[in-house]
Order: sequence, then C-alpha cells, then structure tokens
Amino acid sequence: MKLTDLEDRAEVILRRYEEPKAAMLPLLWLVQENQGHVSPEAEAWVGRLLGVSITHVREVVSFYNMYHTEPVGRRELRVCTSLPCRLRGADGLLERIRSSLKISPGETTPGKEVTLTEVECLCACEMAPMAQLDERFVGPFPPQEKEAIETLIQDALSEPGGPEATPEPEPYICSDGPVLSTRFKDPTGTWLEAYTADGGYSAARKVLTSMTPAQVIEEVMGANLRGLGGAGFPAGKKWSFIPTDSARSKYLVVNADEGEPGTFKDRYILERDPHALLEGMLIAAYAIGSHKAYVYIRGEYFRPAQRLQRAIDEAYGRGWLGKNIQGSGFDLEVVIHPGAGAYICGEETALLTSLEGGKGFPRLKPPFPAISGLFGCPTIVNNVETIACVPFILRHGAARFSEIGTATQGGTRLFCVSGHVVRPGVYEAPVSVTLRELVEVAGGVRDGKKLKAVIPGGISAKILTADEIDVAMDFDSLRGAGSMAGSGGVIVMDESTCMIEALESAARFFADESCGQCSPCREGTGWVHRIVHRITEGRGTFQDLDDLLAIAGDMEGKTICVFADAAAWPVQSYITKFRDEFEEYIRNGRSGRTRRSEEDEACPV
Amino acid sequence: MPSLTIDGREVSVPKGTTVIQAAEKMGVFIPRYCYHPGLSVAGNCRICLVEVENLPKLQVACNLPVTEGMVVHTGSEQAEDGRRAVLEFLLANHPLDCPVCDQSGECDLQNFYMNFGLYDPRFREQKVKKQKAVQLGPHVMLDQERCILCSRCVRFTDEITKTGEIGIFQRGDRAKIGVYPGTELENPYSANVVDICPVGALTERAFRFKARVWYLSSAQTVCNGCSQGCNMDMHYVLDRPHLNEGARVVRVKPRYNPDVNQWWLCDEGRYGLEWIDKARLQEVRGPGDTANADTNSGKATWEQALGAISKSLAEWKAEDVGARIGVIASAKLTNEELFLIREIFRDALGAQVSAWVPEDPGTCDEFLVKADKNPNTRGATLLNLTSPDAPEAERIVDEALAGNIDLLWVFGYDLVEGFGEQKVRELGEKLKLFVYSGTNENPTQALAHWGLPSAAYVEKDGTFVNHHGRVQRIGRVFSPLGDSREDWRILLELGGLLGLQLDWRDPQEIFLGLADAETAFAGMSYGTIGDQGVEVACTKPTEGVTAPW
Repeated sequence: MKLTDLEDRAEVILRRYEEPKAAMLPLLWLVQENQGHVSPEAEAWVGRLLGVSITHVREVVSFYNMYHTEPVGRRELRVCTSLPCRLRGADGLLERIRSSLKISPGETTPGKEVTLTEVECLCACEMAPMAQLDERFVGPFPPQEKEAIETLIQDALSEPGGPEATPEPEPYICSDGPVLSTRFKDPTGTWLEAYTADGGYSAARKVLTSMTPAQVIEEVMGANLRGLGGAGFPAGKKWSFIPTDSARSKYLVVNADEGEPGTFKDRYILERDPHALLEGMLIAAYAIGSHKAYVYIRGEYFRPAQRLQRAIDEAYGRGWLGKNIQGSGFDLEVVIHPGAGAYICGEETALLTSLEGGKGFPRLKPPFPAISGLFGCPTIVNNVETIACVPFILRHGAARFSEIGTATQGGTRLFCVSGHVVRPGVYEAPVSVTLRELVEVAGGVRDGKKLKAVIPGGISAKILTADEIDVAMDFDSLRGAGSMAGSGGVIVMDESTCMIEALESAARFFADESCGQCSPCREGTGWVHRIVHRITEGRGTFQDLDDLLAIAGDMEGKTICVFADAAAWPVQSYITKFRDEFEEYIRNGRSGRTRRSEEDEACPV
Repeated sequence: MPSLTIDGREVSVPKGTTVIQAAEKMGVFIPRYCYHPGLSVAGNCRICLVEVENLPKLQVACNLPVTEGMVVHTGSEQAEDGRRAVLEFLLANHPLDCPVCDQSGECDLQNFYMNFGLYDPRFREQKVKKQKAVQLGPHVMLDQERCILCSRCVRFTDEITKTGEIGIFQRGDRAKIGVYPGTELENPYSANVVDICPVGALTERAFRFKARVWYLSSAQTVCNGCSQGCNMDMHYVLDRPHLNEGARVVRVKPRYNPDVNQWWLCDEGRYGLEWIDKARLQEVRGPGDTANADTNSGKATWEQALGAISKSLAEWKAEDVGARIGVIASAKLTNEELFLIREIFRDALGAQVSAWVPEDPGTCDEFLVKADKNPNTRGATLLNLTSPDAPEAERIVDEALAGNIDLLWVFGYDLVEGFGEQKVRELGEKLKLFVYSGTNENPTQALAHWGLPSAAYVEKDGTFVNHHGRVQRIGRVFSPLGDSREDWRILLELGGLLGLQLDWRDPQEIFLGLADAETAFAGMSYGTIGDQGVEVACTKPTEGVTAPW
C-alpha cells in the first residue's frame, strides 16, 4: 500500500494524541504493517506528518527492536533466548530452527519466506521455550520435541493468512482468585456482559455517584496498595501528589510494557480480565481528575492489545467510557499506545518519553511525573496489576484488601513462576506467601532435581540460594533478605544450572536493553557482558571476578534511572553467592561437565 | 535567595539556580561533559556527581536545584570516587588515539582524567567499533568512536538552529551520533558543534591535522563579518609558518558574550577571515619617479606617499577649496579612524566626507547573521558620516566625474564593484589626486594614483559599534603584515604633516577624544568597554533584527 493511501488512517491516529509527535510509534507501525518495513520515504513521510526532522524519525526507528529499516521476510519468527527460556532449552530450540531454516538470527530465508530474530524476554515464560510467529506467541517447544518444532517451521515458511498448526496457546496455567485471578480460568468470563454480571463496574458506579476524589485516594492509601510494577511505591500516596489546584490536563498512564524477564502477569489481566483494568482506570482517573488515559502496551503484545481494545470498545458502547459516564458527568477517554521493542520503556519516565514519540530515554527527576509528566502535565503512571487491584478495594473496602497482606503491603500479587518448576504459570497469593511455598505451588522443582537458586522478582532482583527461600514475598521482607520483590517474576533454577551461563544471559539482556543515555550504564552493561562472555568462552581469569564486582559497584547509584543498578545486582549476587562455581569454571572451563547430550540440550544452562 | 554550603563555604544564589551554577559562581569548577549553559540540561554524562548531605546517592550538580541549607561536597571521597568511576566508563570504549586527534590538548577527557581520574585502567576487552572520519558536512568531521554521547551537538541543532540534523541512533553501547544517511550538517552555524564537543568526536575540517593546539596563540577580538560583532578568540601562529602554509590565522573560536553572541559564531564569519593572510596589499604603491602619474605602477615609501599627498592637500586648503576634496570612508574602519577622518578632512580641510557606500544587503537570519556586512555602520552613523548627515558616496563620485572634486581618497571600499570599472578609470584620469588605502589587492587600488597598504582590523586596536549600539574593542592580535600600517596611524601622520594639532598618540587616546566630542560615547574609555563592550547612550538597532534570546 502506498503512503498516500495511508493518510486517512494516519489522520485518525493523529487525532488520538494531544501532540502530533506522540503519534510517532503508531505511525511507524502503520507503515510497517502495510509496507513490511520502514523505508526512507516512509521516514520522511512520518517526519512530515509530525513536524519532526527525518533524523529524529530515524533515531526512533533505530532505537526500537521491532522496526525494520530494510525489507524482511513475509513472516518473522522471534525466538526468545532470555534466561527463563534458556533454562528450559531455548538454545536448543534456536539451534534446531537455525539448522532447519539454514539461516542465522537476523537473516531471511532465500525465498523471503521468513526472517529469524533472536529476542529478549517476550514475557510468556510459562510457555518456555517459546517463540513468536508474526503476532502470535507459540510454545512450549522443548528442543527434544522435534516434530512440534518442525510444525512451527512449516508454519513459519507458509504464506501468511493460511491455516496454521501452531495456535497461540490457551488455557493458561494459573490460580483462581481471590483478587486478581478470579476470572482468568474462564474463557467465557472475559467480556463486559459476564464482568458486570459478576458485579463488575459496581465499584466504579459507587465511586462516581457517591465519593469524592479525596475519599477514593484515602481508601486506596488505607488498602496499603503498593506499586506492583516493581518499585512498590504506595499507590494512594502517588495519586495524592497530583496537584489539585492546577488547571492543566492530568493524565493517567497505565504501564503495560511488561518486559522484566520472568514476568508475564499483566498479559493475563489484559487478555482475561481487561474490564477489571478499565474499571480500575476509571476509578483512578476520577481520583486524580484525569479525563484522558493511555495504556502503553509493549509492541510484542498483539493479542493482549486486541483484547483490551475489544473491552474498550465494549465499555464505550455501554457508557463506561467516553463522555458523561453513566450519567455521572465524568468523562474519560482511553487510548492504547503500542510500544515497539524496548525494555527500558517500562521505566515510568522512559515510558512517557516513548509515549511522546521519542526514544525510550528515562527523564531526570525532579520534576516527577505527578508534577510534570506526559506533555508536561501532571501524570500518574501505574502498572496494570496495580490498577487491576483498585476495583476490589473500592468494592470490598480498604480493610478487606489490606488484611490479606502484611502490615505494610496489602492484598495479593500475581506471582509468575518460571524456570525449572513442574508447572510454570501465574499464581496469585497473598503477598505474605513465602518463596518456598510458591515454588511448591508450581509443582516444585521438575524431574526430581534439587533446587539451586531462585530469582524472586524478575531478572534484576538479586538471586537467593536454595536455603534463602523461606522469605515472605512482600516488598519489605524481600528487601530485608537482600533482594527485591520487583515485578513478581520468580525464576527457579535447579542443580543443573550453570550460574556463569545464567549470568551471561542476564548480562546480555542488560547490554541489549540499556538505552545508552547515561555513561555508567551504556558502557558498564556492555563491559560486564563482554567479560562474562569471555569467561564462558574459557578465557576468564580470577581477576575478572573482582573486576566485575568493582564495575558493578561503580554502576550503582550513578544514573538517571535504576536500570544500571538492576544490571549490577545479578553480577554482585551471582558472583558473591556462587564464587566457588565461578572460580571452578574459570579454572576448568566447562570440561568438568558432561558433554551436551540430547537430555542436556533440554536444559543447557 | 536560598543559602547553601559548597565545600565548606556558604553562598546565596537566586531560587532555581543549580548546584553546578552556584559552585561556578564561587569559583568551584565541577567537571561537565553534557552540561552546557547555552543548552537544556541532559544529565547523561554523570561526571558532575557531587555528594549532598542527607541524600542517599550522589547527585548530578547540573540538574540539582539548590535548597536552603543544602550542604554540598564536590571533593569528598565519595564524590571523587563517583567521578573516577564515570571517567573510567567514558574511556572504556574510547579509542585513546590522542596522538592523532586534533582535540588533543584541549580535550576534556584528557583534562578531567588528569584532574579527577588518574586511575589504573581495568578495561581489557575488545572496544566497540564504530565509524571514523565521517564527513558530516562542509565544515565538520565526525569520529563516532571518540564520541561520549553527551548529546550537546544534538541539543544544539535542536534548540539553537532548530534544524535537527544530528541524532543519536541505536541504543546501549552501540549508540552513535550522526546525520540521516545521505544528508549533511550544513546549517549556517554548523561549526559550533565542534566548539561544544567536549572531546575529539567533532572536529573542524579546516583545522584537520593542521596544528597541535599547544602551538597556537590566542587573542581576543570581534568578528568584522557583519554588524553583529560577535566576540571571538583568534588562534594564530607566528613562529611556525609551516603549520598553516604561512598564514597566521589558524582558526577562530566564539568568545562568550551574553549580549551579543552568547557562545556562538556563524560559519560565514568563522570561515570569512582568509583575506587577513591572503592577497594582501603589502607595499606602498605610487606613481614612482618617472612613470605615468595616473597609475601606481611604482613602489614607493610611506614618506614619499604621505609627503606627496599632504602636499596636495595643503595646497587645496591654502586655496580654501576644501570642498574639492572628497573622502569615501568605510563602515569597516574603526570609530577612532572615522573620527580622525572627520577631524582632518571634514572639519580641518572642509572636504566632502562619506562612509555611506552602496552595497547589496547580504544574507541574514533572525539569529546572528546580519544583512549589513560592515562591522561599524552604527559607529559611522553616530559620527554623522552616513546619510542624511553626510553625502552618499555616489554623490561624491558623481561630483568627481563632473569635475567638482579634484582630490579623492577612498578607504577600503572597492569603487569598481560599486560603480563599475569604466567610471573608476575615468576618475583616475580626471582626478588630480586619487588615493586608495586598503588591506587587500582590488581593482580600485590598481586604478588609483596611490595605493596605501592598510593594516587588517585584527592588526590594530580600535572599536566598532555593533548594530545594537554596543561599543566593542577589536583587540590587536598581531602586527600589520609587510609595510601595511594602521589607518589611524596613517591619519595621525597625515595630520601632523598638515600641521594640525592632534594630540593623540594611539587609538586609546583618540577614543578619549572621540568620547569627549560625541555624547553617545560620553564617559567611555577602553577601560569601561572592557572585553564585553558597553552600549552607547541611545540604542536603536540599525536593522530590525532581534536575537531569539
């Protein structure tokens, strides 16, 4: 399709945003969906529409992983090789695909059927090892299941649009309540009719008809709801920072840029309970006086975005969004904004920069978003899960929510258990649940192996050894244990795990995903990865271990956002807690271990 | 006015001041790469980390607003360790090719390593490879490997020129600056990115591999390329002529002046200075002993020239026909010289004097570049040497052609360009005395009876008044080339030969005389003008141009 034929659709996209430049990512998506890649002509076209120089368009295109500047295959197969997938055999999966397609990652088959890409965590670790074929997630594909992988490859080579043998899997492996996951298991319970039949939107109705914004904030504060994106900041307190005397527009932005390796909970909410998110947004927007909300969804989440859009359309149709909601006089517009492949955009200020049409660069603070956020206006950014807790709090009262948790953190969390467990999945539990209990809920360590270590809160969190897991999973208990609750991504490693290779995987992730803005992070993440990679190649020295600890220490606390700190923590905790293993590896390389057998290939890390 | 303590000393600064500014105010230099006072705060290089009591982490001084009672340590062990760490990161992938880098000697990586680093490097990995020797545009070269991604150049093209040519592509340690493929950095201010680049990533094509910076001498001056009068430092070599093919001027750098050019220079001004060393008029040319009196085919001495000219002038004065003398001065001359011309020619001899020459307006914009390419039109106006206080040059030429003027002296202006060769040739034949004084060879000087070599403006002291009414000193950079002499010196000697009582010995004294005579300059001296200039009493711009700040 020619660019001129896209102008009407571009016009519709532009109307969704207060400032034209904010339409950058969706316009680039529009071009890529229709032309397969973003050509120089398209960059110029987008720049013209947005009033932005072509250089700045190219900056954006080159920053995000999902945009192609050159023609690619008719399909794209993205294979995740992030830590949770590697623990379950991603390297073997990628190797099979490579040898079958006879291309390496970054290359396209000679017939232009498919482009193979190696990607960082797609946040579907419950189906690890997994891949993404065009828009859909597919998996698991353990490397020993040759036939299943061959089916995937046949799908990848087929013409887009034909019948395919690898659907996106359902149902999910997950828990059933009490707060966030009550609707996950029932595929018929997702949409508005079923949601309202179960009492959905009653909290929103109560709020709109009988409560002041201040009362709502007070209720959420009383519930001890903490920010579940990872930082754990009290949500009600955050809302209270919005200036009430300002005439400027206020924005609610929902962070659905789920990207922390080992985390996949927001996807469940988006797909299986989108109205809980929308009802929570309605309440939050009312509390902070916002009439425009954006949901920033990571670019790889196609089906979650489609399902949320369907729920949004339903809500508009039934008067739960739009003008004069349910006759209350309150207005709220909701717009989905697609990301394009950059982990850093999950950082709240990077998310805002990205939403405004820039590269995902975190912003200097002060000012904080509550004072000057999106388009320079007061803005609250909350994670999907945080917002999804809000209807429960307003429906059942702050006390009911807070008493589920600990003294400083109310409620439950969706814990994402991945790695070497029997049943990886999303398990909701009170935040006081212990890490050991969670591993057991997921069926314990698979194949009767012994537990070696667990990462309790996504790949950034400091690792805990097998005898450190009797710790409650709330923010404060895990901080006390020297780690963090983070995003709730629990990555389980059994005795066969090689910590050096696990660290290499984490270090590669941070080197890939650093935005490159601050020098300690830009240079430090790459430096760390090169050293660890060199060690895995058998060229390590004992000095490297001390250097790594020193470099990690130098990276901490010196950057605009905490990405560099997050990159430092795995280095520090893996080396400190498994120093003997690192030294043994440096001394003997992998030679002390058995050669890769078919079985090892399933679990090469 | 919050008060804070920096390194044990208390200081009060206006609300909204950042720690880096407050420290600077009290003479404490906090190192910086990305911070530039003329650009927005980026906060990405992290070298300005300071310790602030009661804050858990080190803070970047560039983005930290001062608060009452804040206690800052810039030299504590924690702060120094932070800077050391940041430097080590910045240098990790840096190629360390100082021996072949033009920035060497004025590089903040080198400087800060010596001042704040001095660690034992630990980086032993393969460095990230990026592009080297990329020609970004007509004036600027890029070395991506040397770049520390401070984004100053990006912010310059976004915020100052608003052209947006430079960007940072990709991310992580693959990030690199550049322009969009197939485009060039060619805005009228492009070379400023070289000045603000704190390292050797952006260098000047014109200066490429020309000289080590420590061989350069520097002197303050102003640009004479247009009526803006941008302040600049001229970098030159006298003792190593091989470095620059014999030319003395190697490059210029903008000199900060908040009221004129802030930190910037236009490319037109920056690269418009070749004439100072090229095709200069270096010897006195006159009719000679026997040759045709109508051309200056012969070499002469200053004594011969000024003797002959003053003799003619004295004759006309004695006959009380001063009005038959014409002088076409120039708005490229200094106030001091214009004042002497006025004193000698207009007031003492009664000549017709004009500094109002026909010129097509040049390029201009709403920033620094002015259409009037003369540095001192405002000064000439304040001295009543332009229309309507003085005749236009065209009228003097017409009068001369009509036979009403016998003696004509042209200062610097190329009559051939303004009036055509035919008319000037005619003048040469008609006039009894036709003197041209100027800095460079040109057709007018070839047709005059006498060609007097003048010093270039950077070879003399003096003042200009810019379009906004700011009196600024030129500042003599080096001596006049060859036999050339400063116009003020020529005029003083001439006055002496004419027996006039001119009690001044140098531009400084002439200026005091001028300040006595003209109310616009009343009370000024070189001392009060200083190196940033002062506004004249009434300030009305000659062009309706406002700078964006």
